[in-house]
Amino acid sequence: MKNPVIALHNVTKEFHGNPAVKNVSFELYSGEIHALLGENGAGKSTLTKMIAGVHEPTKGEVRYQDKTVNFSSPQDALENGIAMVFQETSLIPSLTVAQNLELGNEKFLSRLRGLYISAQQFLQSLSFEVDPTVQVSQLGAAQKQMVEIARAVRHNAKVIVFDEPTATLTPEEKYHFFKLVNRLKKEGVSIIFISHALEEALEISDRITILRDGEHVITDEVTAFDRNLIIQKMVGRNLTTELYGDEVRQARKARPAGKRVLSAQNLSMGSLVRNTSFSIFKGQVTGVFGLIGSGRTETFKIISGVVKRDVFHGGEVRLEGRPVRYRIPRPAILDGIVYVTEDRKVEGFFETKSIAENIYSGLIGADLNESAAISYAEMAALAKIWTERLNVKAIDNDSKMIELSGGNQQKVVLAKALVQRPKLIILDEPTRGVDVGAIAEIHAVINELADAGLPVVMISSYLPEILNLSDRILVSRLGRMVEEFSIADATEEKIMYAAVH
Amino acid sequence: MRQTLFTLFVDRFMGRGAAAVTVPPLDGALKPNNDLEDLFNGIAAKAPDCIVDWQGVPIWSEGARLVSQSGVQTEFGSDITAIATSDCMIAVATLNEGLLLLDDHLAQITPNWSVPVKNVTALTFTAQNELWYCTGSETRAPDNWRRDFLEMNQLGHVGHANLATGHVRVIKSKLGYPAGLAPMPNGSIIFSEAWSSHLVEISPDGRTSRVVLDEIPGYPGRISPAQDSGYWLSIFAPRNPLIEFVLREPAYRKAMMREVAPEFWVAPNYFSGRLFNEPMQGGALKQMGILKPWAPTLSYGMVVRLDANCHPVRSFHSRAGGTRHGVTSTVEADGKLWMACRGGNEILSVDLGAEGIPA
Repeated sequence: MKNPVIALHNVTKEFHGNPAVKNVSFELYSGEIHALLGENGAGKSTLTKMIAGVHEPTKGEVRYQDKTVNFSSPQDALENGIAMVFQETSLIPSLTVAQNLELGNEKFLSRLRGLYISAQQFLQSLSFEVDPTVQVSQLGAAQKQMVEIARAVRHNAKVIVFDEPTATLTPEEKYHFFKLVNRLKKEGVSIIFISHALEEALEISDRITILRDGEHVITDEVTAFDRNLIIQKMVGRNLTTELYGDEVRQARKARPAGKRVLSAQNLSMGSLVRNTSFSIFKGQVTGVFGLIGSGRTETFKIISGVVKRDVFHGGEVRLEGRPVRYRIPRPAILDGIVYVTEDRKVEGFFETKSIAENIYSGLIGADLNESAAISYAEMAALAKIWTERLNVKAIDNDSKMIELSGGNQQKVVLAKALVQRPKLIILDEPTRGVDVGAIAEIHAVINELADAGLPVVMISSYLPEILNLSDRILVSRLGRMVEEFSIADATEEKIMYAAVH
Repeated sequence: MRQTLFTLFVDRFMGRGAAAVTVPPLDGALKPNNDLEDLFNGIAAKAPDCIVDWQGVPIWSEGARLVSQSGVQTEFGSDITAIATSDCMIAVATLNEGLLLLDDHLAQITPNWSVPVKNVTALTFTAQNELWYCTGSETRAPDNWRRDFLEMNQLGHVGHANLATGHVRVIKSKLGYPAGLAPMPNGSIIFSEAWSSHLVEISPDGRTSRVVLDEIPGYPGRISPAQDSGYWLSIFAPRNPLIEFVLREPAYRKAMMREVAPEFWVAPNYFSGRLFNEPMQGGALKQMGILKPWAPTLSYGMVVRLDANCHPVRSFHSRAGGTRHGVTSTVEADGKLWMACRGGNEILSVDLGAEGIPA
């Protein structure tokens, strides 16, 4: 039996008391390609970040080359031979490709020409078509990824962690990438490969580990797996809570579709949203499922005017038959399209303002405030109605948003959207980072809205949530709606299959 | 926004508005299935076009002949383009003879029309002495509809004929190939405008009109009332981005009509895939001998059940690679839904369930 290069023993990582990775043991042998699979939020990235020195484990031990290690930073890990290629690239946009490759090893005085020549030779040896003199900010996502990979190779790493390296690559670039990975393997480098593309994992890896809800499910040789088994292991949940129980799901009947409110046709934005077409109907919860990077959020941000579609041949959005194109969100809000963001801390509220002020700001944004000047009486009355309706728990309505828990913050964000009297409400990850009690309350609100005849769009990465709330399910993949299910014929496996193929 | 030459130019340049090569999605109640393809074999018929209920049994047109399950009923001098029936009368429109009226023994009782009625695509009786008709195009006969489509004509009209006096009146004109109509319970008339892919409701005097269903992902044809409430809509051909693109290229379109035989035009059709030298074939449609799921198709089979408010509730499809394409007409008779499948040379039927919608 070979000795593992990296061994994790019963590692747990908690963020503010919430475990992202629970009691996982993991071994990586030298010269092995090890695929790490799981749903969004299964803890794959967290696990590898502990290896690469980004996070420190709360409990457990990380062993590298038979020594217990505790890297203080990714730089520290890199110096010891562990490189991580991140999902979000960590290149410096204002430097050139060659400078980025040299980053961390730069001399006190560098000669650019020499740098460019060596970078050119190095990139060519990897068959990467990237001009070393170009600034990184000018590169496309795939090329950035290549530079990132090249940087990891250049540091002569013993262990390289690739976090979804192929998501942005074209088939040809993928081919080069796989050749490179196999070459690295022959040189004795160990590779951890995180991917949502199951075929790739099956094709390239020697062993596969599957995580689910932060827990280790299975590790085995690749020959023991096929695509269906992987999907089953990835989604096969055994937590039957009240929230996501099967009984609830089976007792439910889809609400009939009303009039079509919104239709998107051929909508495009860069490489994130690619010719997507779909409709949204009244009186229904339309669940939108997709893996991270599948363009679901971007699609609905285009519709609500947060981002703009492609200028040329960017497609059409029709609201009740009328073509609309919003450059900013305000006209969309005035037309009744309300988008509730997935990233509430950044985009959702004013954190140093009070609950009442936040809810009132929504009203002002939709021009629905009764008095021309800011009226504290109106604000207080409004806050009273909505905090009672949504059961926001706080000392009083003058509490600052930053003092609230995630669930209560989300309820205030929801209230802020609902005061705008939406005609179409888009909820992006409505229960992300929200405690179980608040989830149930938010779900009740969503059902109420749909029962009242509103079209509700709910974007979620959490399959049970999608299955238990939506009447109609759209699946997004690579920037496009690829499949539609009615609640009667949807299962977790079918949805996941559509999302990864 | 008002359309001006300037906005048209800008839209064309930016690829938006009328110049967006977009097609409405087939989703919601229109989600594709194989329900037409899965039906049992129907009655063989040669390019059946219009099917109606005549004294409780379905009759349909095959070229110039009027046919029922028991055989040929009668024959006309030229191809039949539309039929409608009431309790004791049958109205037939043909290519050359125009609009004819027959009694219940199929003897001619055609009055003298105040204006000749030609190029009729659909007919419906409203009251005893009232007949509504659609003229698809004033310049192109219904057998030449693909040319009318490629010329992007808006030369159709919906009219009304008084059977007692023979007085004919155009109710609404400058329409993009109206191809189907049905009376509504409130006395209005609903008609389909194929080239605009929408359904319009007009008041009997034609003064008010409103679009009741738009963004249909195909070219809507005849409409027949469903027994309980609502309608059956036949969508005789699909819209697709390739065709939308051809419509945006006038020079190409004109050259194609001038130089290429009609059966090879890139234009919607009742059927496709029969000739080996069609414009789309081989690698464009098939990969390793298997039809690509996203293969573009010039023909499609689609029948949609609409509720009383004209919202789609259920649909039957025959997809790319199928044979039951080009359903031009439907009728409810005898507890069944009968469909004239022009592209598939077949009369199809399906049993209606308790709610008037097949399971």
